[in-house]
Amino acid sequence: MNHINVVIAGAAGQGVQSAGDILGKTLLRLGYQVFIAQDYQSRVRGGHNFISVRFSDEPLAAPVRRADYLLALNEESVGLRLGELAPEGLAFCLEAAKGSRTDQRLRALPDSVGPEAARGEKFAAVKLLSMLFAGLGFKPEVLAGSVKKIFEGRLKPELLRANLDAVAAVAAFIEAKDVRAPAFQPKAAARGGPSAGRLLVSGNDAVSLGMAAAGAGVYAGYPMTPSTSILNTLGTAGPRLGIAVEQAEDEIAALNIAIGGSYAGVRSACGSSGAGLSLMAESIGLAGITETPVVIYDGQRAGPAIGMATRTEQSDLLPLVHSSHGEFPRAVISPADHYDSFYLAAEAFNIADAWQVPVFFVNDLGQAGSERSVEEYDLSRVRVDRGLFAPEPAGTAMLARYAVTESGVSPRAVPALSNWLVSCDSHEHDENGRLTDDKDNRVRQQAKRMRKLAGMAASFPGPEILNPGKPDCLLAWGSTVGPLLEAVNMRGAAFSVAVFRYLFPLDPEKVRRALAGFSRLITVEQNYTGQLGKLLAMDCGLRMHSHLGKYDGRNLTVEDALELLGSLEGGKP
Amino acid sequence: MTCNYDFHQPQWCPGCGNFDLLVCVKDALCGANLGPRDFIMVTGIGQASKLGFSVKCNLFNGLHGRALPLATGVNMANHKVKLISVSGDGDYYAEGGNHFIHAARRNLNIAVFAGDNRVYGLTKGQASPTASPEFTTPIHPEGVGGKPLNPALLALASGATFVARSFTGNKEELTGLMKQAIAHRGFALVDIMSPCITFNKTNTFGWFKQRAKPVGPEHDASSFDAAVSLVSREQETIPTGLLYKADRPVYSDRFSALKGEALARLAPAYSPDRVKPLFEKYK
Ligand SMILES: Cc1ncc(C[n+]2csc(CCOP(=O)(O)OP(=O)(O)O)c2C)c(N)n1
Repeated sequence: MNHINVVIAGAAGQGVQSAGDILGKTLLRLGYQVFIAQDYQSRVRGGHNFISVRFSDEPLAAPVRRADYLLALNEESVGLRLGELAPEGLAFCLEAAKGSRTDQRLRALPDSVGPEAARGEKFAAVKLLSMLFAGLGFKPEVLAGSVKKIFEGRLKPELLRANLDAVAAVAAFIEAKDVRAPAFQPKAAARGGPSAGRLLVSGNDAVSLGMAAAGAGVYAGYPMTPSTSILNTLGTAGPRLGIAVEQAEDEIAALNIAIGGSYAGVRSACGSSGAGLSLMAESIGLAGITETPVVIYDGQRAGPAIGMATRTEQSDLLPLVHSSHGEFPRAVISPADHYDSFYLAAEAFNIADAWQVPVFFVNDLGQAGSERSVEEYDLSRVRVDRGLFAPEPAGTAMLARYAVTESGVSPRAVPALSNWLVSCDSHEHDENGRLTDDKDNRVRQQAKRMRKLAGMAASFPGPEILNPGKPDCLLAWGSTVGPLLEAVNMRGAAFSVAVFRYLFPLDPEKVRRALAGFSRLITVEQNYTGQLGKLLAMDCGLRMHSHLGKYDGRNLTVEDALELLGSLEGGKP
Repeated sequence: MTCNYDFHQPQWCPGCGNFDLLVCVKDALCGANLGPRDFIMVTGIGQASKLGFSVKCNLFNGLHGRALPLATGVNMANHKVKLISVSGDGDYYAEGGNHFIHAARRNLNIAVFAGDNRVYGLTKGQASPTASPEFTTPIHPEGVGGKPLNPALLALASGATFVARSFTGNKEELTGLMKQAIAHRGFALVDIMSPCITFNKTNTFGWFKQRAKPVGPEHDASSFDAAVSLVSREQETIPTGLLYKADRPVYSDRFSALKGEALARLAPAYSPDRVKPLFEKYK
């Protein structure tokens, strides 16, 4: 695939993030497709962080490791990142960061370039960006426009001026031999507009937009990477969209807030990462036994306990399938890309409402934090179905909130807005929501609730099989899907790929049919144990041939995926 | 209005303070003109919490300690509906301690009736956070030790805007305070001394009766300092009545989204299209 990968590296607080924002937005507006991956440490200042900004004329769904350009904002970054620069690539840094290095690919900018007011490491980001733009053959005015757009009002006028002057001065420094304009032109998008009708969104942005589109009115969480940005996005949009968002005192409160909001008649959700999900466990069962629809977002990160706060993993699948004591129905779904992150997040509320269950929307840090260009989401595709409600009675009456039905779903009502009195209970209860431990009632109510599992499984699509008909099938979910598909296609599509979005409950027949005929089934997941494989063994009686696990906490790149495929083709594992 | 909240027969021990609590709750609801569908009751787990099943109303009986965050969610979805919570001292001050503090800090608009028997009734006699240091149980054969938690002081320190104390043996006072708590706009705690005749042989009806003394007219309930000083003074009697009352914006006031109709009325009509303006930021 035609692409260029730009790595911007430096310490926290040096402007790596802003430089990435500027570059990403500029590329988007030039009409390119973009994928931006983050690699950062859990600290506010110092350390070593980098982001990879990859762009192409075709849609991108994965990061790559190899850099075509390196913008090294400090000396440490030159040392740490030069090894991943392509032989024909270029590295830009300030003179002071070059040290004694003699690498032919290194282009050091003398500090004398640019105005007096723009000297030192603080201006490294904007100056190196300007070198990059010149190197790519992009006009400096385009960069100046982006810098202005992002910093106008945020920087003092004289500082903004220094930045803009630096952009112009540095652009002239690049020599003709260093200009490598992309060999590909952006393909026109379906619609016009400044960004060719596209959005540059992170996975979490997409989830937030999806939740808002679904009509969520209550959201609660407790800050934890990588779920906090949903709190931020929905909180900021709340006044305009009519969403009440709360930073709860802990994750237990966050889920109980969502349950309360849902009981009172509003689509409600909460979010956290694995540790917060562990705290929520008892309340997940509360949503289960009270049959309260609620969407619970899990941004998975490397665990257990605090694990690695800014590193990715896919190790919460089995914990979520089993989370909380006792038995009750729940659903687990997961977005395989930034389109799912929007459309499936909205659909999560329909599942919750249709079956009156807790629905886990499971993302991973890699995908939650990565940004990519997508075609503007089509809001007419968002379906809102609130499920079963009881017809309004003539006068005040007690609702049989847990009426035994064939599907297991009982009509609900909104307390205080209807004549129904609605009683929900955390104990085992009778049809009217009153506690009882009567044995026949227990069997009736438990069987009613558990019947929802079969109904949900039947209503869920099975795995999507891409490149069907190959001898071997790779099974994946979440952020591993993108790089895996790209690697498979680079290898001439030698493997089929099964993408799992609906992870629980599974319809064994449907899954077995989709996976029939392959000689090897191989899970590719960012975990040690192969949790999807274990789930398929447990619920569908399927045996995996092997598991390709990666648990170093880093995003799976296309190169990583190629290496994994290589290990398969070599007859191993 | 004529009131009938009669529902399921409660199952407490004969002589349990919860019976009086139930009578007072019903009288206060009636006095506050709240019909069964006009309010939502949110309870936790414990003997006191079971009171919810004996009142005909909208009820969410949640987890041990978690009634208040659940009520917070109800309030976000429907800030117009009156919220009433009933539970025990273990529920509010131990398992749910963190939630109690933060619900008070937010000034959630809710009337909280804490049946404070200084013991865990439902689980048969363990010490509660309000138990006295000398109180013995099989777990604490040499006494609980420490210092009993002071619910009124905790509520004041946490930002509650209505703090009262009462005793199930003084139904008139209790009903009056409950009515005021329901009428109050904000976090209203009534900590209710209530005997557990089976598991607390120390803090008996007589013990409470001897000590519960209504505050005199000299107490200025609008003064935070006076309230703190009154409830933190170590003395033989336990002052009952309204200890503190203030006006402060309630929780829902911080949301412009909760200025008008309840979200529970508005949100079901939300169209996905309302998200469109948010797309601009990503272009
Ligand atoms: C998570 C959890 N831990 C423990 C319990 C057991 N439990 C139920 S009620 C209770 C305490 C009851 O004391 P209190 O809240 O003072 O109410 P009372 O019964 O005295 O009215 C306990 C420990 C539980 N239900 N849930």
